[in-house]
Amino acid sequence: MKRECMNVYLGIDVGSISTNLVIVDGGGEVLFTLYDRGEGNPIRSIQQSLCRLEAELPSNMTIAGVCTTGSGGRLAAVVVGADLFKNEITAHARASIHLHPDVQTILEIGGQDSKLTIVRDRLVVDFSMNLVCAAGTGSFLDSQAKRLGISIEALSAAAVLSKNPTAIAGRCTVFAESDMIHKQQSGHRQNDILMGLCHAMVRNFLSNVCRGKKIRPPIVFQGGVSANQGIRRAFTEALQMEIMVPKYSMVMGAYGAALLAVQAGIVKTGFRGFAIAEHKIETRSLLCSDCANNCELLEIVDEGNLLRRTGGRCRKWDRSYFSGSEKVVVSDMATRAGALEDKDCSDNCCSES
Amino acid sequence: MHRLAIPNIGNYAVALAALGECLGVQSETCLSITPEMMALGAQYAPETCCLPMKAYLGHFVKAAREGVEYAVMVNSIGRCRLRYYGKLQQKILDDVGLKMHVFGLGYDGIKPPLIRYFDPTLRQVLHGGACYVNKLIAIDILEIEAWRTRPRELNSGDTSQLFKQTLQQLDKLTAVRDIRKFRKTIHERFAVVPIDATRPVLRIGLLGECSVLRDKYLNHNVEEMLGNLGAEVRNFFLMGTELKSIFNLGVLNKHSRKNQLKKARGHLHDPVGGHALDSVANAIRCHEQGYDGVVHICPAGCMPEVSIRPILRQACKERDFSLLELSFDEHTGHEGVCTRIEAFVDILWEKRRRQGFHET
Repeated sequence: MKRECMNVYLGIDVGSISTNLVIVDGGGEVLFTLYDRGEGNPIRSIQQSLCRLEAELPSNMTIAGVCTTGSGGRLAAVVVGADLFKNEITAHARASIHLHPDVQTILEIGGQDSKLTIVRDRLVVDFSMNLVCAAGTGSFLDSQAKRLGISIEALSAAAVLSKNPTAIAGRCTVFAESDMIHKQQSGHRQNDILMGLCHAMVRNFLSNVCRGKKIRPPIVFQGGVSANQGIRRAFTEALQMEIMVPKYSMVMGAYGAALLAVQAGIVKTGFRGFAIAEHKIETRSLLCSDCANNCELLEIVDEGNLLRRTGGRCRKWDRSYFSGSEKVVVSDMATRAGALEDKDCSDNCCSES
Repeated sequence: MHRLAIPNIGNYAVALAALGECLGVQSETCLSITPEMMALGAQYAPETCCLPMKAYLGHFVKAAREGVEYAVMVNSIGRCRLRYYGKLQQKILDDVGLKMHVFGLGYDGIKPPLIRYFDPTLRQVLHGGACYVNKLIAIDILEIEAWRTRPRELNSGDTSQLFKQTLQQLDKLTAVRDIRKFRKTIHERFAVVPIDATRPVLRIGLLGECSVLRDKYLNHNVEEMLGNLGAEVRNFFLMGTELKSIFNLGVLNKHSRKNQLKKARGHLHDPVGGHALDSVANAIRCHEQGYDGVVHICPAGCMPEVSIRPILRQACKERDFSLLELSFDEHTGHEGVCTRIEAFVDILWEKRRRQGFHET
């Protein structure tokens, strides 16, 4: 029996810790989700995820649009040939508002960053993101779980069992760790220490990221860390409000990206197909020594063909452009003499490092 | 020929260099600092110093290592730490063991320091002054034209390319008459850029500390980033306006201190120092003129800008006006800045769409 062909949209969120894929249909219904821990190699992780996706995707579905997001989203966009790149704040908010139209506050904690998004009347009105410090993000929980020799899931399960959480200093991860060790050496139970850690992280988030912003219910909590029951409990206790964790909380960025792809009205997708999962995609770094900036350039090469170069502060190396936000840094920032002298673009002034 | 290091203030370096060259000194200046200078600055400056100070110091250290003997530093009688920086930089350079003399640009004895050290003729001084002022006005026009064209251009990058070319040509001119003539052609040059005049654009004001507003390296080029995302930017630091305010020229100067104080009434009653008062007053002005939002650019450790942050936040909150606060230091990651700017622009577009929806 021949089934009807169906257009579906792919959202890819390449975060610091994980690569997530979501497939939605034209109406925004989730058909398929995938959460993959990248292990520091985003390109391979994207390829593996695409492989798994291809195996599970029914043959009557064709991908009609791709949108990427996340810190590795620009790289992913080049690799898969995406139609759209969106920042993760917009993508996450898009998914939340789609699932919970009445949401007013979105808490999002990922591997390396944490964000607060304020929504009023289905419109994002304000946001804030953590600054340089990664205290209070998923990677810290990860490293603590590793130090204690338990899995991150076990940490989550152990923390909620605590009845009397200990106080842990949460201002800085380094101090938090030494405080945890101190508590551990003085004989506190592991459950209590872990729950104390969750409380410390939430305190850190509320004082650093939320900083005086009005948190109103309904609250949606998403991002990789939202799977952690200890953090959920700590948020509920600290805010004295109910916290909603959406069904696809782990992959909300990718979901939002997929929704944005649906919305974008893509006529013909630039998606390069599942075949790229088998391609040999490499990156090469180059050092441009034409001016005092000494830009580190990155070349993305697919089976010997140059896909694009990134990382230059001026335009000369960027032969192919992707989207509006990609052309961000285009002017020379060299010394007056250097910037005002017209230099031709020639490949020989580049030394491979 | 003496060599003089001039602190970088973005594209105005071209005008400042012309002034120096007319006075018979070779100017060492740059359109924006480089990563190398920033690293040097961060290495030698005290940790708690503000970002512009580190940038200036890095520039001077690099220049001194290349054999430049003199440097000039603003020492205005303001209320921020900038006034001590000349002296502080001199001490740091001495401690590092570099032979460089840093003198102030403001009052420093009867004879202005530039004249005392380089002894130019009266003719040179007049010519230099005229060159400087004319180039300055030309750069102001150039900036304003670029803000207007960039969000509307059909081929991305045209504006930046033209901007660079124009600046190059301007840099080469030495006669006052040529500069004046050149200045008048700038409008025509930009009129040639293919634009889509009907394209809707956002209007965003850029507020904050002057050197971070002007230096493309320090602010990660937010001006162009916003322009490319379809926002007509207004950067509230134009040297022409600034000089008018300093010398109190023009009876109708909207940006004079008195007018700024009037504008900021109810929020700020004191010119905190630096450009703090201007930030608050201009944010309110932007709101009155129907801008979509403002971006406040604050260098880490800047006393005036840091102290007015809550005031600015409150002023914008009362007016339901969108504000994005960006704080820059030498470790600021580019990706984070991009994400914030893009999200902010998305918010403004959504807001605009919603308002348009309500009106119709």
